[in-house]
Amino acid sequence: MTLQPPPAVPFRRTWSAAWTGAVAVAVLLAMALADRADGRAVAAAVALVALVAAWQTVRAGQVRAMRLLPRGESGPERPPDPTASFAAAFELLPDPALVVTAAEPEDMASRRVEAANRAARELLRIPRQGALLVAAVRDPEVLEAVEESLFGAMARTAVWESGGVQERVWRVWTTPLASAPERRVLVVLHEETDVRRAERTRADFLANASHELRTPLASLSGFVETLRGHARDDPAVRQRFLAIMAGQAERMARLVDDLLSLSRAELNEHVPPVGAVDLRLAVADVVDALAPLASRRSVQLETELPAEPVLISGERDQVVQVVQNLVDNGLNYSAPGGRVCIELSPGLDAEAAGAAAHPGAARLSLLTPDREPGRRYAAVRVRDFGPGIEREHLPRLAERFYRVAGQKSGERPGTGLGLAIVRHIVNRHRGGLSVDSTPGDGSTFIAYFPQPDAVSG
Amino acid sequence: MTNTDNHIVRAFGDELSQLAAEVARMGGLAEAQVSDAVDCVARRDTTLAHQVIERDEKLDALQRDIEKRAIRLIALRQPKANDLRRAVAAMKLAHSLERTGDLARNIAKRSLVLADAAPMSPLTRSIERMGRLVTSRMKEVLDAYTGSDLEAALAVWRRDEEVDEHYNSLFRELLTYMMGDPRTISPCAHLLFVGKNLERIGDHATNVAEIIHYEMTGEDMIDARPKADALAPAPAGV
Repeated sequence: MTLQPPPAVPFRRTWSAAWTGAVAVAVLLAMALADRADGRAVAAAVALVALVAAWQTVRAGQVRAMRLLPRGESGPERPPDPTASFAAAFELLPDPALVVTAAEPEDMASRRVEAANRAARELLRIPRQGALLVAAVRDPEVLEAVEESLFGAMARTAVWESGGVQERVWRVWTTPLASAPERRVLVVLHEETDVRRAERTRADFLANASHELRTPLASLSGFVETLRGHARDDPAVRQRFLAIMAGQAERMARLVDDLLSLSRAELNEHVPPVGAVDLRLAVADVVDALAPLASRRSVQLETELPAEPVLISGERDQVVQVVQNLVDNGLNYSAPGGRVCIELSPGLDAEAAGAAAHPGAARLSLLTPDREPGRRYAAVRVRDFGPGIEREHLPRLAERFYRVAGQKSGERPGTGLGLAIVRHIVNRHRGGLSVDSTPGDGSTFIAYFPQPDAVSG
Repeated sequence: MTNTDNHIVRAFGDELSQLAAEVARMGGLAEAQVSDAVDCVARRDTTLAHQVIERDEKLDALQRDIEKRAIRLIALRQPKANDLRRAVAAMKLAHSLERTGDLARNIAKRSLVLADAAPMSPLTRSIERMGRLVTSRMKEVLDAYTGSDLEAALAVWRRDEEVDEHYNSLFRELLTYMMGDPRTISPCAHLLFVGKNLERIGDHATNVAEIIHYEMTGEDMIDARPKADALAPAPAGV
């Protein structure tokens, strides 16, 4: 069953019968399943099975026809070749799909991928044809499902976590296509990362919001209580309390904002961004926006930018947020009179992009992208000259609400979510994040983003 | 004459690729064992823990099977150079993966004890993060094996220190807890072993990378890998 169309011969009747059958089965099943939660996906899988089955019937019909009819007697009209469009439909399906064959039950090496569509080739990094099944998927649950469809002639489903930094989750359907002697199974994968992630993010959001808002709320109601009671007639105390309350309310607002950004960043983490952003412009914008804050703190913002635009694949608002959170952190940990350096270097490979900026500093990668040979990255390095971070805190930095004990983050304390947001956004962009730090000498945060192929180097 | 020769050569190639396929399958099983074991600890899932403990036998059986096949192949075919290395590497890999499985089983056993104690969510979150890092390391190195990608294997080998850093950080965290509240000493000691096991699984991943390097080049890796030392003098106060 290669994907090349065989020569066209008359077979219109077989074809239309098979086709009508396939469509009818698919429509009926789709209707029956439509009210179930995952009905649509199941219906799609069923339709695909019907499609491939029809394709095979047609091929069998063709073989018979070729045997019966001598060449050249193919009649006056040549109907359009449906196998070609079946093959194209299989190839263009948005869900990864594979056809797997096997010879003997005992021999793992005989399980091979007979055909893999484009989505499957991209996801599993296998060729169109001939890959070992275990080279495509090793997960025992999936292998078992394939096995049962191959040798038990049963349709099965399994859940597969494809690993990698984006942590995607797939539902796998395996359906027998042909039994002995030519055992053949259709494997279809349907992404369920959205559903899983939405569940988890919602639970996290509620837990975090209720936990983190409790402290400022308690403090607010405490002040309200006092203002109603003995501080009612003392204007000086009232003013002071109101200022504190305003500060707390502001903190709560910031927290809610950050929690929302975090949820958003987390929810679409597995969806790669479309479009290109000039990273140089993004950095310049952030520096302009934060200049007033910096001068209030008497901290100097120094930039080192290349002369040309630095294009990266990404979404502008999110990239700006990354740079802003990093520079914000730098400002928060700088003493008055200090400085924060922002440096931008394009055209690096992943290793050079995340490399330590300072020899002797403790370095740790908080996020390493999946390996893509030849990919170039543009790195933003934000360096402050504050107290630095002890080595043992580095692995936990991107954890939400993690604070390094005994460190003050200045008059305007952060929410503890800044780096968590940065990590999720950078991961969505298939980039990396690393930190190096020398206690007493400051820290450098490095975020790097992949550059589009055309402008690499 | 030529036909039989061809046949023999092809059968030999088949046997080698069968061996590689078995190793990949075993790798997939070991990967699942490790990530399930981490889930046991994170979600306090005792049913899953029993499953992990039970499934370890499958890994042992696979290892014995791979070893038997490899020895048979070496004895009967007397392979040379590249082919010999592939057979030997399959044996070494099976051994490393079997050890990985034992460590995962040990984590699952400890999770049963931990499930009886009061939950310690910030700590289990650190374990979960470290576990996810280690499983991704295993995935990368096994991908490198099935794809015969030497560069990818070397990339895993070079980044071993990351796991060590996580382990050291966890170590400090656990000490702080134990000093703060002696009642947590027993669960913390178990978590410490869980962390240690994960760190050793990470070592096995680098070991697998070394075996891949040997299989593909025939050379040992002599460069010293950067290591963050857990036993380095701790700052005062710990």
